[in-house]
Amino acid sequence: MPDLIDGSENVTVHGIFNWILLLIIFSVITVIGNFLGYKHPMTDSLIGMAILSLITLVGVWLERYLPLNVSSILYISIMGIVLAFPGMPTSDFVLYYVSKIELLSIVTVFLAYVGIGMGKSWDEFKALGWRAIVITVLVIAATYYGAAIVAHIVLVLTGVPAA
Amino acid sequence: MINYNFQRNLGVDFIPDKNQDDHVEHIYRQKTDKRILKKNPWRDYRLHGTVLILVIIAELIGTIKIPLTKDVAITIMPLIYTIILGLVFYLAKPIKWIQRKQARIAEGAMMLFIGVLIAKLAVSSGQSIGLIFDMGPALILQELGHLATILVLPIALLLGFKKESIGMTNSIGREPNVAVVVDKYGFNSPESRGVFAIFIIGTVIGTIFISFLVTLSLSFLPLHPYAFAMASGVGSASMNAAAIGPTLAAFPGMETQIEAFAGFSNLLSFCVGIYIVIFVALPLTERLYNWLEPKIGRDSILPAKKEDD
Repeated sequence: MPDLIDGSENVTVHGIFNWILLLIIFSVITVIGNFLGYKHPMTDSLIGMAILSLITLVGVWLERYLPLNVSSILYISIMGIVLAFPGMPTSDFVLYYVSKIELLSIVTVFLAYVGIGMGKSWDEFKALGWRAIVITVLVIAATYYGAAIVAHIVLVLTGVPAA
Repeated sequence: MINYNFQRNLGVDFIPDKNQDDHVEHIYRQKTDKRILKKNPWRDYRLHGTVLILVIIAELIGTIKIPLTKDVAITIMPLIYTIILGLVFYLAKPIKWIQRKQARIAEGAMMLFIGVLIAKLAVSSGQSIGLIFDMGPALILQELGHLATILVLPIALLLGFKKESIGMTNSIGREPNVAVVVDKYGFNSPESRGVFAIFIIGTVIGTIFISFLVTLSLSFLPLHPYAFAMASGVGSASMNAAAIGPTLAAFPGMETQIEAFAGFSNLLSFCVGIYIVIFVALPLTERLYNWLEPKIGRDSILPAKKEDD
């Protein structure tokens, strides 16, 4: 059982301290971007980022502490859904402040880190070349047609008139 | 390995077998922990300062629309500037303060930041749960139509992709899908390289490609107008917008319904789509890969990967 979750023995207060500082840095950058891009007030969006960071922190912590091999994505998702569920006492508060953070603001900052981190794999990316372009085009087409055909079949079966 | 990964996809894998040395997900987690713990990553002001500057530049430029024809426009959003500028900063010779060390810290930190992205999506899901129940079966079931991407897997194998193909064909490869694949396989895995390739190419050509695709489909596919509307929500805001334009033009007088369905279906793709990917698409893609790869797999087109640490 001790090796159930690798690296868990490394998680100390020091580690959590590092996570918190990283999330603060990420939050500040996101809030600045969110302000420049969407003009949301900085104080409100800081509170929004604090909520999201707290959910993340608890999720990452649970992934390493609970004796289940479950990705932090699931813990984070469940916490987010439950906190925002209509009728929950937390939902008004959470929705108001989290709505001040645009998804695209988070993605923009996130992708800056991805871009820098990606540099290491640049040569392999170049090797993907035209074949990857072919696959991308096919994947987009498959997504679109798959959804359109399933929606059409369900609409016809449930008798929605074609207006 | 097959069995092990399959169990993990269902989230029920409690005890990893110690004899299996390929703990893919643990290796990345360990690496992430190590990087985060040992390097005091928050202290690397060069990295975070650079990210801040990139974000400020990107948001100040803002979204640029380049119209090609009446319905088709290329949309370039700030997120594209930051990913490309980040890469340029790493690769550019004169920029000496972003090196391999910074790239590795960025990688470790990124694993943590994915959580913030997922948390934001989860809050949106919780918020719209009432709507999801109200909007009827078509909207929800069409999300399963996105599984059609898996049909591209054999073509990817024939073109010489190996495990990259799992990342490439499990979904359309937008932000939430990237997050899911990176979390499951780790940043340096072939699967993640595959989904990143689809993401970057999709970001650059996806918008314009889907505009043409929709315009053509409207003229030769006799589908329900609502079906076209729902299908335009592929899980990318810019692709959604590009797909709605021609659809609205093709069905005059139905603007309101088409916009409502298209917008909500895109929301669904972002909220529910990731759960379909986690629980259905990725396990299915892996199984199909394991079945097809020995049969039609070609020699890998990628050079053997050097170990990083």
